[in-house]
Amino acid sequence: MADSSQKTLRIREFPIDENPGHTYLNHEKGILSWLFTVDHKRIGLLYLGSVILFFFVGGMLALLLRTELLTPAQSIVDADTYNQIFTLHGAIMIFLFIIPSIPAALGNFFLPMMIGAKDVAFPRLNLASWWIYIFGALFALYSIITGAVDTGWTFYTPYSTQTGTSVVSMTLAVFILGFSSILTGLNFIVTLHKLRSPGLSWSKMPLFLWSLYATAVIQILATPILAITVLLLAMERILGIGIFDPSLGGDPVLFQHFFWFYSHPAVYIMIVPAFGIISELISTYSRKTIFGYWAIALSSLAIAFIGFLVWGHHMFVSGQSELSSVVFSFLTFFVGVPTGIKIFNWVATMYKGSIDLKTPMLYALAFLFLFTIGGLTGIMIGALSINVHLHDTYYIVAHFHYVMMGGTVIAMLGGLHHWWPKMTGKMYNEFWGRITCGVIFLSFNMTFLPQFIMGSQGMPRRYFNYVDQFQGLHQFSTIGSYLLGVGFVMMAVYLLWSLFKGPKAPSNPWKARSLEWMTSSPPTHHNFEYTPVILHGPYDHHKPMKEFRMGVAEESESPDVIEIDKDPA
Amino acid sequence: MANQSVATEKKSHLQHHFVDEDQQFESSKMGMWIFLVTEVLMFGGLFVAYIIYRAWHPDLFYEAAQELDVALGATNTVVLIASSLTIALAIRAVQLDKIKAAINYMAATILLAGTFMVIKYFEYMDKFGKGIYPGESYTYDGLEHEMAANFFSIYYMMTGLHGIHVVIGMVLIGWMIIKAKKGLVHSGYYTPVENTGLFWHLVDIIWIFLFPLLYLID
Amino acid sequence: MSHHISTLPTLLSVAGALLVLTFLTVAVTWINIPEPFNVIVAITIAVVKATAVAMFFMNLYWDSKFNSVVFLLSILFLTIFVVITLLDTLFREGGLPVY
Ligand code: HEM
Ligand SMILES: [Cu+2]
Repeated sequence: MADSSQKTLRIREFPIDENPGHTYLNHEKGILSWLFTVDHKRIGLLYLGSVILFFFVGGMLALLLRTELLTPAQSIVDADTYNQIFTLHGAIMIFLFIIPSIPAALGNFFLPMMIGAKDVAFPRLNLASWWIYIFGALFALYSIITGAVDTGWTFYTPYSTQTGTSVVSMTLAVFILGFSSILTGLNFIVTLHKLRSPGLSWSKMPLFLWSLYATAVIQILATPILAITVLLLAMERILGIGIFDPSLGGDPVLFQHFFWFYSHPAVYIMIVPAFGIISELISTYSRKTIFGYWAIALSSLAIAFIGFLVWGHHMFVSGQSELSSVVFSFLTFFVGVPTGIKIFNWVATMYKGSIDLKTPMLYALAFLFLFTIGGLTGIMIGALSINVHLHDTYYIVAHFHYVMMGGTVIAMLGGLHHWWPKMTGKMYNEFWGRITCGVIFLSFNMTFLPQFIMGSQGMPRRYFNYVDQFQGLHQFSTIGSYLLGVGFVMMAVYLLWSLFKGPKAPSNPWKARSLEWMTSSPPTHHNFEYTPVILHGPYDHHKPMKEFRMGVAEESESPDVIEIDKDPA
Repeated sequence: MANQSVATEKKSHLQHHFVDEDQQFESSKMGMWIFLVTEVLMFGGLFVAYIIYRAWHPDLFYEAAQELDVALGATNTVVLIASSLTIALAIRAVQLDKIKAAINYMAATILLAGTFMVIKYFEYMDKFGKGIYPGESYTYDGLEHEMAANFFSIYYMMTGLHGIHVVIGMVLIGWMIIKAKKGLVHSGYYTPVENTGLFWHLVDIIWIFLFPLLYLID
Repeated sequence: MSHHISTLPTLLSVAGALLVLTFLTVAVTWINIPEPFNVIVAITIAVVKATAVAMFFMNLYWDSKFNSVVFLLSILFLTIFVVITLLDTLFREGGLPVY
């Protein structure tokens, strides 16, 4: 890459500084050096802090909802407030938490490191994306103060054009947040194409990066449609343009097409990065080369593509034509294929591996279990005839919480623990990590398994009252949600403890093989003090660790220097 | 094709995370193309709405389009094509280090863009004068079709969003003129001018579709 | 890698072609081509014009092929959006939404 006239590349091993004095954390000091940083690692942490904050806010709202559902009649809030709370819970969790969660936080931090780059391609755009995100969040806040929104996070017309609540500012918030998401995706695509270190061919890229690539493609292709959708909705409210509003000759079902053309692919923006983390975890903690590298890598792209063909499975009872319902139901089944491919390859990777049940691996196993339930129920409700019965019931609520919380959030927690030593330079307490993982796993199931049962018996979603027969299950679910809250508090405690009092982390505590572990913990300002050269795949646990720490040697260095063919076939 | 090629020479704008100028230039351009994709898709949403409604109400589109002035639309098409040419000439001039000429071409582009907006302004005013407003404020009764207002809503959304892009383009080109005056762009580094040019051409391409779809329904 | 600089004749002739095509697209409305061919002709001309702009003004012709692929992807996904949505709107049992 550096000099195209050369046929060979001179490389040598670079030792890792286990006690770095100068790191990205102390490179510059002061709050402003954080708020206006262009360092992808710091921006990753800014995003991490922000999404955790919104996860907390969304979580509190969820606990309010669950508390209201303790009794069949009104418990703590009235119907209108309940509508606003579930709308806010959904909108915050989707647009402010889960969409940016893995890519913008962990992805921002690790994508450049995993390809041996100093930064993403457009560092200032990266910072802009975070500021735009904050700006969008402020708009959402403004909407909450000025009357909130009670349409559900889906903003369906015609209700969203009639309700007296603050829809326009919320749609503008969504518009702005979409822009931030686009900038992240754009940055990642260019970075992966242009900034890979010598030797890091597409076939040697960690699977987390393949998944971020697929995610970025979806972000680029789907988010603009969300932008125009919410813009048209705002215009519908402001001017009454009559495109979606039936009382003006518009078509509300068309709104649903627009909305789901973005929002179904968006569920893959949420889950595909999680798949990437799981690939890293399963290989690392099974100490085994990933099984079916290309199958996993390409299935991410396949999911990204097929994800664009199935949006109408959210609209089976909307009044869309029978023809399109049948086609959408048929196409929906195809999504299961690449997803299944991944699950089988992960399981095959673990087979005969030396599995180390560290906290991140426990999360990976929890993911396999929970996501499989979420995915399989997805296939069930993708079937037209079954969907007609289950649509808008708690069955749907359970389905998407199993994929989004049981899938994405659990995987993100796994990734957070896996990379915690690298990001902070501190180790967390393994014992409490495992206990907490167990608490979260059990209480999650306690919360959402009953919802499948209630949904199948006809409990509709988005109601604050219900018939008495469901009270037992609802209360069980509510208690589960409280325990879930306890689990997160436990995590917050031991992670904060680790931050201040935890033991120092070595550079590579898990004996992983990908590049981000081949520099000190925490990394230095430029990630690497040399230009890394990649000889082996990211999961080649059978190759000596030394060969993963190669970098371009200077002209003057003669001992230990190896000459390699620059473009091995 | 007798087109020349030159290698870049001056090194000055290289950011630390790139290996060389070419890598940086190619990265920026790829980033710009990806951004243009999002623009196409955002406008695309409006085209989809157009297609759906035209398929539902062909008579509405035929009838209402007669209100639009083909001559003005065609003039604007010519104006935008001319501006696409001038911005392309500006980029060529920068590449050849003829900064003065580049500034003049960019100024011409802004002028043409301004012309486009002025013509658009008169078109809008003419419509408003008749009571053809977007959405519910529509009061014109010269059209039979009960959904006439819906056609004009689509018309205003499409041309309005396009108009906003024209204005953004004018601002960007103005900024490039300032950069050129300060000597910040030259044959060795002209990435921002190149990307502004790409943006401007896209604005032209979108109009190329808007013109026949809105004005030329017969 | 080297940068492409377009020649004057290229730029001028592309602009000329665009003007001719603009005239053509207006002129075909003077002769009454029956539905749906009038739309097809109008769109075809617009596509040719847009392709010319993309290839020679935006330099895709000389550029890395990846950028062309990126651009075409936007068209592909837009087509998916249109076609699948039409599967609904053209085949509604209840007919047109009216008001
Ligand atoms: C095997 C893959 C999947 C299939 C086949 C599938 C299928 C479905 C179907 C058919 C619905 C519509 C149910 C209804 O409203 O009647 C639905 C709803 C939903 N799914 Fe999935 N799904 C899958 C994976 C996912 C993933 C990975 C996520 C997110 C990470 C997700 C998130 C959602 C959400 C949020 C909803 C509810 C939207 C709403 O109405 O508010 N799904 N899914
Ligand atoms: Cu879906």
